[in-house]
Amino acid sequence: MSNIIECINLSHVYPEGFTAIKGINLKVKEGEVVAILGQNGSGKTTLVKHFNGLLKPTNGTVSINGIDTAKQTVFNLSRYAGYVFQNPNHQLFATSVLAELEFGPKNQGLANDEIEARVKETADFFQLHSIINEHPLRLSFPLRKIVAMASIFAMQPSIFILDEPTTGQDHGGAEKIRKFLRKLQDDEKTVILVTHDMPLVAEIADRVIAMWSSEIISTANPREFFFDLKTMEKTKLQQPQATALSHRLQKRVLNEGITLTVQETIKALEKVVNP
Amino acid sequence: MAGEVTIPVAYVRGTSWFHKLHPIPKLIWAIGALVLAFSTRNPLFLSCFFLFGFLLIILAGILNNYLKVLLILLPISLSFIVLQSLAPAFPRPWISIAELGPFTIYQEGIYSGISLFLRCLAAVNFASLMILTTHPSDLFTALNRIGMPHHANFMVSTSLQLIPIVQREFIIIMSAQRSRGMKATGFSAAIPCIVPVFAGTIERIQQLSLSLASRAFGSKGLKTNIREIEASLKDYVAGIIGLGFTIAGTWYLIYYRVQLDWSEDALLPIWLSKALVVGSALIFIGTILHFWRKAKG
Amino acid sequence: MTKEIIQIENLTYQYAHTDKPALVDINLSINKGEYLAIIGPCGAGKTSLALSLNGIVPHMTVGEMRGKVLVDGIDTTQTQVRDLAHIVGMVFDNPEYQLSQSTVLSEMAIGLENIGIPRDEMLKRIVVALEIVGLSGLEERSPLALSGGQQQRLAIAAALSMYPKVLVLDEPTSNLDPMGKEEVFAVTARLNQEKQMTVVIVEHEVEVIASYADRVIVLDKGQIVNSGNVNDIFSDIDSLDGIGVRSPQVTAIASGLEKKGYHFENLPVTLDGADATFSDWLKQGKALA
Repeated sequence: MSNIIECINLSHVYPEGFTAIKGINLKVKEGEVVAILGQNGSGKTTLVKHFNGLLKPTNGTVSINGIDTAKQTVFNLSRYAGYVFQNPNHQLFATSVLAELEFGPKNQGLANDEIEARVKETADFFQLHSIINEHPLRLSFPLRKIVAMASIFAMQPSIFILDEPTTGQDHGGAEKIRKFLRKLQDDEKTVILVTHDMPLVAEIADRVIAMWSSEIISTANPREFFFDLKTMEKTKLQQPQATALSHRLQKRVLNEGITLTVQETIKALEKVVNP
Repeated sequence: MAGEVTIPVAYVRGTSWFHKLHPIPKLIWAIGALVLAFSTRNPLFLSCFFLFGFLLIILAGILNNYLKVLLILLPISLSFIVLQSLAPAFPRPWISIAELGPFTIYQEGIYSGISLFLRCLAAVNFASLMILTTHPSDLFTALNRIGMPHHANFMVSTSLQLIPIVQREFIIIMSAQRSRGMKATGFSAAIPCIVPVFAGTIERIQQLSLSLASRAFGSKGLKTNIREIEASLKDYVAGIIGLGFTIAGTWYLIYYRVQLDWSEDALLPIWLSKALVVGSALIFIGTILHFWRKAKG
Repeated sequence: MTKEIIQIENLTYQYAHTDKPALVDINLSINKGEYLAIIGPCGAGKTSLALSLNGIVPHMTVGEMRGKVLVDGIDTTQTQVRDLAHIVGMVFDNPEYQLSQSTVLSEMAIGLENIGIPRDEMLKRIVVALEIVGLSGLEERSPLALSGGQQQRLAIAAALSMYPKVLVLDEPTSNLDPMGKEEVFAVTARLNQEKQMTVVIVEHEVEVIASYADRVIVLDKGQIVNSGNVNDIFSDIDSLDGIGVRSPQVTAIASGLEKKGYHFENLPVTLDGADATFSDWLKQGKALA
């Protein structure tokens, strides 16, 4: 498995002089689901904007698929990396869901039959056929988020960058998004997840990168990360409740490792009373 | 980040005499300056007036901000010279003084162009003096005291806040759409960028109106103000002086307009006229190109 | 002196151009000093219910209303939103959309200017409100320069400066990062516990609600389908799941074990409660249903 994203000593200083990220060294393997965590202002959004060329390094390098991004346009990189913005209203503009799905492939200059095929594949994947002719702005917020995700999917990038996909949703909406994220993972797409939905991270992330004050302060798998209370306190992040529970019980009663999800916790607890 | 074109005309904090002056006399001076500037074409008067305003700007300590405004307005004002020289807004007959390719430069044109240019700058000087040293809230609070409705104050301050917000949203939306492979130029970029800005702004305003209603916006009865604007003697004096100057000055300029009309007498050497027209045109076109390229990002 | 600050009687509301009412026959009493949480799936009518508490529904929406909402004895259908502002404070889900002025101070002053509070009194109230939400000293800051959590706290302070009796918050933390969420919840708890403010909050963060709320009402398809304390509501995990509402993870864990045959006296709804429940349970060994 090759490194599909590679950052070497990456820094970005904004024109006003503000250092958003510094000294970032990061390798992402193809097919990995990487969660980037941190409070607002820690640099996580600045970091991921380098992955599709929206920002260029002021120091260091970023390579996507082996290509140095410094001289590449966003248009060229959009072939490899798709960025789904946090607020779907920033991306939806057309008069139908169909037109939104066609937008990306059309920009890519694909032939009409290829565009049609892509749209169908996307509508199948995200189950959008029933609303394909609806006006995006008439859809509920969770559905808009899904349409925004789908419109990036239609461009068939190998890297998906998702900015807070489950934020601002109710449980049902968030569950729909989680389902599609799991599907992307099963399809071995590389997913970069900027989020503060800790249960989502616990459930789906292969690796967690925690940022604080413009630097990466931790790279670990979720189990190691949620066990590292010191880092969690520093970044002011919280364990999912199930994990916190297992952590507390572990000290006194469980003697197992910490758990990440509700199901895992149920199994772990059961194992103690019914080995 | 792609093209940040922000508007540099906004209140600048300070403690100069002008900052402390009551908004109404400042308004009187600004309007008076406009009236005076547009009452004459005499270049000498206008130049002196311009310099006077410039001096006051330096005294108020707002030179840097003023220069930013000037940077934008100067080239545009220079276009007047070009346009007027070739097609004067002046009663015929015109004296032609030089040929520039297919175009003819007229004496009255140059005169008219230069005076329009100077008028513009003189007016800008005093307008900037007022705008840069007066918080909009203070101005409208003062106007409120003399009978202007309370809402106007609020509408202005809210609109001013909206400008940087809409700019910021526009930049985000452009990034979002570029991430979908949209090429950042041309007409095809317009709709994918403008529709979300529009929709977002409308949603924002709807939400804001609910929030404001929840804070009693639209209540009948007395409104109070958190900003204190008290008029003291020196404010009245400044206002009266301003009014006096305007009235007296305007009377003088109109009464002596024939003597002050130097359009026949002020003859520029031909090379200077040509240089002025060509130079102004180049600066004007150059500025347009610069801003266009900057907005492209 | 009744103990109810809000009484809703047979409230039904249908927005124009829709085929179903958003609220159906709502009957609800809210007591003074209560911390009431409203939960339910997207589209259940939670926002409509919250907005009916200060008259936005029906005065600023287009639709048909039946029934009555009495706020501190005042009928909202007969009173304009602006005249209820000093009784019910409202905070919305997007922090930035509520702000419109260039400084924190002028933002705080808007409400007070509108109701004609004298300047000295204004300054006093602003200082008090900013202190409660933890934003003292930031009067000259631009609201756009504040973090999301700070902006939302500013919105709360602006509502508080009107000295309302009830504070209604419609999904106040949905757009905030974890730190911001915590700040806002802490402020609501502080207001309720230290200042006895009646708090009505629409939220999805069930783990936090379980720690703070006195009472929870569950809305689905415009109707109140359940009402009770946090233990009763979240223990009924299957019905909540049926309408698309989560229970706290610890409750789901206990419920999952119950389905495997184990028995718990009460399903825990908070982390501390779960810690105690499971520690005991594990120490006792097997406990079959």
